[in-house]
Amino acid sequence: MTDLLEATSDPTLPPMITAHNIQKWYGSFQVLKGVDLEVSPQEVVVLMGPSGSGKSTLIRTLNGLETHEQGRIVIDGVELTQNPKHLEAVRREVGMVFQQFNLFPHLTVLQNITLAPIWVKRLPKLAAQEKALQLLERVGILEQAQKYPGQLSGGQQQRVAIARALAMEPKIMLFDEPTSALDPEMIKEVLDVMRSLAESGMTMIIVTHEVGFAREVAHRILLMDGGQVVEQATPEEFFTNPKEERSRQFLAQILG
Amino acid sequence: MEPLPLKQKLNLPSLPSLRATWQWLRQNLLSTWYNILLTIFCLWVIVWVGGGLTHWAIALAQWQVVTDNLRLILVGRYPVEQLWRLWLVLGLMVGVKTFSWGTLQSWQRKHLLRVALVGVGAILLALVSQADGTSLGWVGAIALVALGSSSLATWCRQQALWPRLQPWLPLGWLVSAGLILWLISGGAGLTPVSTTFWNGLLLTVLVATLSIVLSFPLGVLLALGRRSSLPILRGLSIGYIELVRGLPLIGILFMAQVMFPLLLPPQITLDALARAIAGLTLFSAAYLAETVRGGLQSLPTGQWEAAKALGFSTPLTLGLIILPQALRAVIPAIVGQFIGLFKDTALLSIVGLVELTGIARSITAQPEYLGRYAEVYLVLGLIYWVFCYGMSLASRRLEHRFSDR
Repeated sequence: MTDLLEATSDPTLPPMITAHNIQKWYGSFQVLKGVDLEVSPQEVVVLMGPSGSGKSTLIRTLNGLETHEQGRIVIDGVELTQNPKHLEAVRREVGMVFQQFNLFPHLTVLQNITLAPIWVKRLPKLAAQEKALQLLERVGILEQAQKYPGQLSGGQQQRVAIARALAMEPKIMLFDEPTSALDPEMIKEVLDVMRSLAESGMTMIIVTHEVGFAREVAHRILLMDGGQVVEQATPEEFFTNPKEERSRQFLAQILG
Repeated sequence: MEPLPLKQKLNLPSLPSLRATWQWLRQNLLSTWYNILLTIFCLWVIVWVGGGLTHWAIALAQWQVVTDNLRLILVGRYPVEQLWRLWLVLGLMVGVKTFSWGTLQSWQRKHLLRVALVGVGAILLALVSQADGTSLGWVGAIALVALGSSSLATWCRQQALWPRLQPWLPLGWLVSAGLILWLISGGAGLTPVSTTFWNGLLLTVLVATLSIVLSFPLGVLLALGRRSSLPILRGLSIGYIELVRGLPLIGILFMAQVMFPLLLPPQITLDALARAIAGLTLFSAAYLAETVRGGLQSLPTGQWEAAKALGFSTPLTLGLIILPQALRAVIPAIVGQFIGLFKDTALLSIVGLVELTGIARSITAQPEYLGRYAEVYLVLGLIYWVFCYGMSLASRRLEHRFSDR
């Protein structure tokens, strides 16, 4: 932790996220077949895998957007249950960024960012706005504060979505394919924001297909297939010397 | 074709040249042989109907039936010596409306023009109907109230304190609504006036307003109930909505008159007016619920997920994120239903409430005005139309306000 750029996870600290034997069914179809996952504070974990492998579902169970039928999830010492009070408490600690941005179209950018701090955290309006403007500056779109989401480009919208999640001062950030809905020329601006967030020491779980980004930013890469974690390794190992046959197939597919 | 619409857009007060007019006619009305035929046919219809109507209105119609009964049409049998209370109500409504309007948007010349036009219209109406000096005085006073409250609104907007006072405006509306009801019904110092004497336009507007205001929250709650994950709540909502939508309004109104007294404990007696409002409200709410449900379903689930992920509770999500968007999406449909509700009040004349349509029936039943249906019902239609068109305009303005978001 001496240098922010060199921030790495510290396995001696108690884990930020512990998920044990997570199982989930859609009807008779099992999407998650007993997933185990531990994430240390300040660790950046990238989930990769083919579509339908359950990586989005896994990340969505971590803040209770999807329920799991079996297994335990503990976020920063609080067990995730169906009790709405527990859920809301956990969600305040876990920020989430979606593939489709999901900004509130009837509110300005500034209102999008201040709404939760004001109503959920009970922050005074002025303090919330000041904080929001700082965040907008951090993601590089301070001048768009008074616009509506519909007036922004996809990349700008996704950066607002990141600022909106950060405004709750979460301990963990979840990214569910944050660049998949973006035009190629806008992907970089979003990845840059995420990179600097990782460098600042945020605990992050990211579902993405951006190989270069994963290789550079991740501390650990998990490959999921058929509702299971097939392999986990450091980016270096994973991309140069994968152990599992399935990983080799996947890499061959995405690296062409 | 191009120069004319542009001029209209810029609102330039110049007359189009003869050439441009001819070109416009050629292009829009006389472009093909069937277009020419259609134009001639339409002209013939307009001249025939319009000419006949004008001839009838000037030469044949006897407007005395309307002017003699204007008070009856407007306020029915409300005691003459208590009429000042209704004038006060009108003044209060005009004052509150112009004040609110003035504070919500900057007061411009065209608004002043509009107020002046309405004022002139009111005075003309008063003169035509041979109103007495008192009524003329009231009309003048209310016009002054309108001017005064709009100036007051402009002044308030310029005060530094105003942004903190503005959120209290709805409280002002609530207080004036209570004041209006007290002025109309009396009691607490005023002579009570029984609801059987509230007739005509007074009753129509009162019933419609109360039914609209009461059915809106009920409709939203039913829509939410129908979308709820709690099976009992959902079942009850669906049952209620489908039951009411399967019944004719007139049947519900009859039942409201007959059934409520049987269902309620004997010490509570609702008078006919309250029963009618209850019937209209319960009916309208079921239809509103379906409209609002359409709005709710038009929102992507991502809105719910984003709100949940930020830690919003369900009530906060509904109030801050879901309902504002869902209701905005269905403003035209909701206002359409309110317009329908306003006109549906005419059915009350069948269950014994003498509102606008009821009073028209009793006027045409008077021996000295026998057979003067056309005059009375034409004026009746005009009154209904003015109110419905007003709501339509308000709807358009609301949509326009949200259109850029």
